[in-house]
Amino acid sequence: MTPGMTIWRCAACRTGFFPERLLCSRCHGETFATDRVYEALIEEISIIRHMLGQENWQPRRIASVRTSDGQRITVGLRDESGPGDTIELFEEGAAPFGRAKPK
Amino acid sequence: MFRNAAIIGVGQSAYTRRPEPGQSTLTFMRDAVVAALKNAAIDAKDVRGMAVASFSLAPDAAVDLAWKLGLSLTWLSQDTNGGSSAMSMLGNALRAVETGAADVVLVLGGDATGLAGYAKVAANFNTVTQKHLAPLGHGGPNGVYALVAARQMKKYGLQKSDYGHIAVAQREWAAKNPFAVYRTPMTMAEYLAAPMVADPLSRYDCVPVIAGAQAIVVARPDRAPKGRPGVRVRAHRASYNYDNQEGDGLQTGISTFAKEFWQEAGVGPQDIQVASIYDDYPTMVLAQANDLGLTPGNDLARFCRVTIGEQRFPLNTWGGMLSAGQPGGHAGGLNGISEAVLQLQHRAGERQVKGARLAVATGYGMTMYRYGGTAAAAVLERAE
Repeated sequence: MTPGMTIWRCAACRTGFFPERLLCSRCHGETFATDRVYEALIEEISIIRHMLGQENWQPRRIASVRTSDGQRITVGLRDESGPGDTIELFEEGAAPFGRAKPK
Repeated sequence: MFRNAAIIGVGQSAYTRRPEPGQSTLTFMRDAVVAALKNAAIDAKDVRGMAVASFSLAPDAAVDLAWKLGLSLTWLSQDTNGGSSAMSMLGNALRAVETGAADVVLVLGGDATGLAGYAKVAANFNTVTQKHLAPLGHGGPNGVYALVAARQMKKYGLQKSDYGHIAVAQREWAAKNPFAVYRTPMTMAEYLAAPMVADPLSRYDCVPVIAGAQAIVVARPDRAPKGRPGVRVRAHRASYNYDNQEGDGLQTGISTFAKEFWQEAGVGPQDIQVASIYDDYPTMVLAQANDLGLTPGNDLARFCRVTIGEQRFPLNTWGGMLSAGQPGGHAGGLNGISEAVLQLQHRAGERQVKGARLAVATGYGMTMYRYGGTAAAAVLERAE
């Protein structure tokens, strides 16, 4: 588990992206530098209760969130956080997850 | 308006939830081709072009299929746009006929992935899904559109039962379609009692994966069988990656071309008598209908409760994919086009919308990350 998550920032216009792009959709710049974001606001959640082709599936929570840098991304939720909550982001491999931010 | 090309025949294979031994994507496709050519009264040797789309054709490609079907062609295309492939292929086929690249074009889609095969497709849909979604246990498209549905309910003040009106109405149409996999009438109570799959989506909100194939034949209008009108396309538009996945998914690519689409057609949404709106989820039916202007005042709740719930407008009259089943998005989209053709030719049997002359059909698909990135639509007209 790595705190925060990777985004890719256009070197020309500074717009941040997730997932990674080849050209910036704003200015079509071709050079990006990696950056990290650590927080996001939950907008919607779902509980995945059934998975095609899987038996003994345990429900998992996912969320659509807006990061503190503005990207709208999908994360796995590791606790009972809900819409309107601010979460801290972390990565497992290349996949983004979130959980309630410690108070 | 395509003046020198029309849809002159449609055909499909049997649809089945679980293929029998010996049945495969290729055998379903063969059955659809045979049915469509017979319907169009076209000899296989006269087919000069083919467009095909499938999730389960590989390792074969379009030319392998042409070989196995014994078709020697001057125009060949393989499409990868998922739920809008059918509409993309239709546009390309019409252009191929109009420009003389091929006199007669077969447009074909089909799949027999099985549930396990489809699960693999869903988890490996693209590199972004492989790296950033599948490890979350996101549930494939069900999870993606669950989040879109939650957003749509919040924005438009929709209740769960609003989606139910679409599912229940389409099941009623499916009862009149002998090819539909699910034909038993469904009540709103049954819809609401169905188990959750990915909140807020329950069983009857999620398109069932089946096996089957569809085909249509595009040619000059004068090649239509005697005594039967061909179906012309008054307008056709498509959109690919319309917003770089930076929006909310509640509008589709149709929103980028709707105005010029209706201008080209020379008619408006109010003139449409029957609609085939791509229905992998009721949520996306509403999004596309709204983009097309079929929901006055963007009042999605009224559209569900009154327009569909009170059976005031014939939507997805073959039962849609939600009840007929989805043999891959490619063939599912072709089924919507085929139904529009049958309705306009007044050959839809018990489902016939009296006097139908104008239809709209759409395609929507390729769940790139947070929602679909491809969309297309056509206005179809009975050609007298």
